[in-house]
Amino acid sequence: MKTPAQIWLVARREVRERVRSKGLWAGTAIMLLVVVASIVVPALAGGGAVTKHVGFTGDTPAALTRVVRAQGAAVDVTVRVHRFHDVDAGEAAVRDGDIDVLVVDGRLLEWRGRPQERLQTLVTGSIQLVALTERAGAVGLDADELSSLTRPVAVDNTQLGIAAGRTQEDETAAYLMSILLLMALATFGQLVLTGVVQEKSSRVVEVLLARMPARNLLAGKIAGIGFLGFVQVVLLAVAALVATVVVDSVDVPAVSPHVLAWVIVWFVIGYAFYAVAYGAFGSLASRTEDASSVAAPATALLLVAYWASLIAVSGDPEGGWARLASLFPASAPYAMPARIALGTAQWWEAPLAATLALATTAVLVALAGRIYAGALLHSGPTLTMRDAWRRRSARSQSEEGARMGEIRRRLDGGDLIALALALVCGITVATLTSDVIVGVAVGAALYATAVRVVHAVR
Amino acid sequence: MLEFDAASKRFGDVRALDGCTFTARARRLTGFLGPNGAGKTTAMRAVFGLVPLDHGSIRWRGAPIGGGARSRFGYMPEERGLYPKMRVREQLVYLGTLCGRARGEVEEVVDGWLDRLDLAGRANDKVDALSHGNQQRVQLVAALVNSPELLVLDEPFSGLDPLAMTTMAELLTEVAAEGAAVLFSSHQLDLVEHLCEDVVIIDHGRVVLAGTLDELRAGVAERYVEIEYRGDSPEWTGVPEVDVVRAEHGSVRLRLAVGADMQDVVSLAERVPHIVAFTYQPPTLSELFRRAVA
Repeated sequence: MKTPAQIWLVARREVRERVRSKGLWAGTAIMLLVVVASIVVPALAGGGAVTKHVGFTGDTPAALTRVVRAQGAAVDVTVRVHRFHDVDAGEAAVRDGDIDVLVVDGRLLEWRGRPQERLQTLVTGSIQLVALTERAGAVGLDADELSSLTRPVAVDNTQLGIAAGRTQEDETAAYLMSILLLMALATFGQLVLTGVVQEKSSRVVEVLLARMPARNLLAGKIAGIGFLGFVQVVLLAVAALVATVVVDSVDVPAVSPHVLAWVIVWFVIGYAFYAVAYGAFGSLASRTEDASSVAAPATALLLVAYWASLIAVSGDPEGGWARLASLFPASAPYAMPARIALGTAQWWEAPLAATLALATTAVLVALAGRIYAGALLHSGPTLTMRDAWRRRSARSQSEEGARMGEIRRRLDGGDLIALALALVCGITVATLTSDVIVGVAVGAALYATAVRVVHAVR
Repeated sequence: MLEFDAASKRFGDVRALDGCTFTARARRLTGFLGPNGAGKTTAMRAVFGLVPLDHGSIRWRGAPIGGGARSRFGYMPEERGLYPKMRVREQLVYLGTLCGRARGEVEEVVDGWLDRLDLAGRANDKVDALSHGNQQRVQLVAALVNSPELLVLDEPFSGLDPLAMTTMAELLTEVAAEGAAVLFSSHQLDLVEHLCEDVVIIDHGRVVLAGTLDELRAGVAERYVEIEYRGDSPEWTGVPEVDVVRAEHGSVRLRLAVGADMQDVVSLAERVPHIVAFTYQPPTLSELFRRAVA
């Protein structure tokens, strides 16, 4: 039977069986809710002024409550005034949280816990202003002169984002996208992992492998589960777009069709990368209980890559580290869309990062395919990568011989290619991070890995 | 015809197959015998490319086996396994279409077998909701979904109750009669003796005995005499070239080596007061097996 037809059948089975599981629907519903809520809720809550409750007791200057209100209005704070007959009643209200601060005799501010800085400044300033007014009257300025002197000046605040032309809402949107990508990659990567281990632990894998090569089984499984992931991410993107249109927050350029399209692309690339890794690790375990421990390196990479890109991008989305994170295949699925959302990625960076990630995935497919094929029929204790690799070595004499031989021939002179690749990457990294040592380290590590891979395949 | 030609496979220091050569013919049931660890499972897996050979080859109808030929094979592994959460019929149809058959064709075959094995009512149940016996039957259908030309079964009789064993035996005979080559491993030698015409016995990865049962029996010079009698048990020893295989109260089985004198055997038989039955036989499969792997 032809390979594409078998892959199609395997993928179709994955989709059909998993669509029936309630877990998948529940997970999708929750993620949809999170996305829509994170766009709609701030839009509904935003714009409303802050309201503060200020209590007064004792000997309060007559003008003070009016001045506090006026000063508050100048900085978008609505002040509600509460009066108390005695200090005890006022303090009780502070303790109950009914009021934010109690002003005793116009001189003492009582808070529950730490003072709220903004309100403290506001009330203190008002008290100073009232005192100033009283003293000015004593000196002989008349009321009109005084009010023109003390009329509040409206002061605006603008929050600068880390990237030019983008606000904090854009940053939040970018981080949210990264988190959703992390969740989607982890969820669907785990589905590949458990799917592989379940086939092994239920022993159905031997029945399947008698009918098709291991690589078709792995490819179909990854494609089927990936299709579900793709549908989920597209649903989330469409929901995000609809939500932004509904709440009319068109001024958040991070949630634009262009950015969301890239998010979908990066899900596909990131999923391909991690699913292959999870598939290879999953094949090493024989029991479902061992699945997560055996795949710990893949999960660790997934999380470390996420945190590294978060730290790099939130530090300086145009900096060398952010660029490095967005080019490195494991972290690119988080860092690159975040940088695209923040508008800090050059036009050529995304295609370059995508090419790098896909090339790495292609190498990974070759490695993982062999480990997967070697480990699938092994039962008993968890295999090591090395054992799984070796179990397959005799295949070179059978029908796969020609294929493996071809790969080996291509890798002849692989040392040279590895060296060239390492040099290019090292120089790129050094240029991007403006750090020669980092560049040398990355280049050396890459060369060492590449040479090992080449020799292992031989 | 399935041909093993000097098939060899090592796992580390263990020679699982060591120049294994035999054939399994179409329209025949071939019993594949050998002690545990003899290499039976490895040989069967090798037919499906699940174990890559180090040396030698396996051919089907004279050609090396590729994906095209395998899609016309059926296989029941020793480690039974199906997707536990997948519905019976859907799963069987899936496995059939993986062999490249049209869906409609596979559905027809599957429904036929489900009917035949009284599983039609469970067609839409999940596999893990079925009893152990029914799961075994589904597993058998899984090997038959593509109407295979070669059916390979690893220990098909293990774990079956006597009734299920009879059903399985009838079914295998039927599949062979329809033209398929059927190769199965078993430790139940009596059953193989009744069922098969061809037998292959391997030990330490090498074929130690292979051929039709009649040939194998004829190839052994020694004969067996079984005497059933009433009355006291006499002393059976003292006759040259005659060994006691089994002596119970009322029956004895004697092995006659090549040089044994029939006259001596008859005189031995006369030691019992009353003979009920006296048979002169070639060795049983079980005896051939013991000789071969000793």
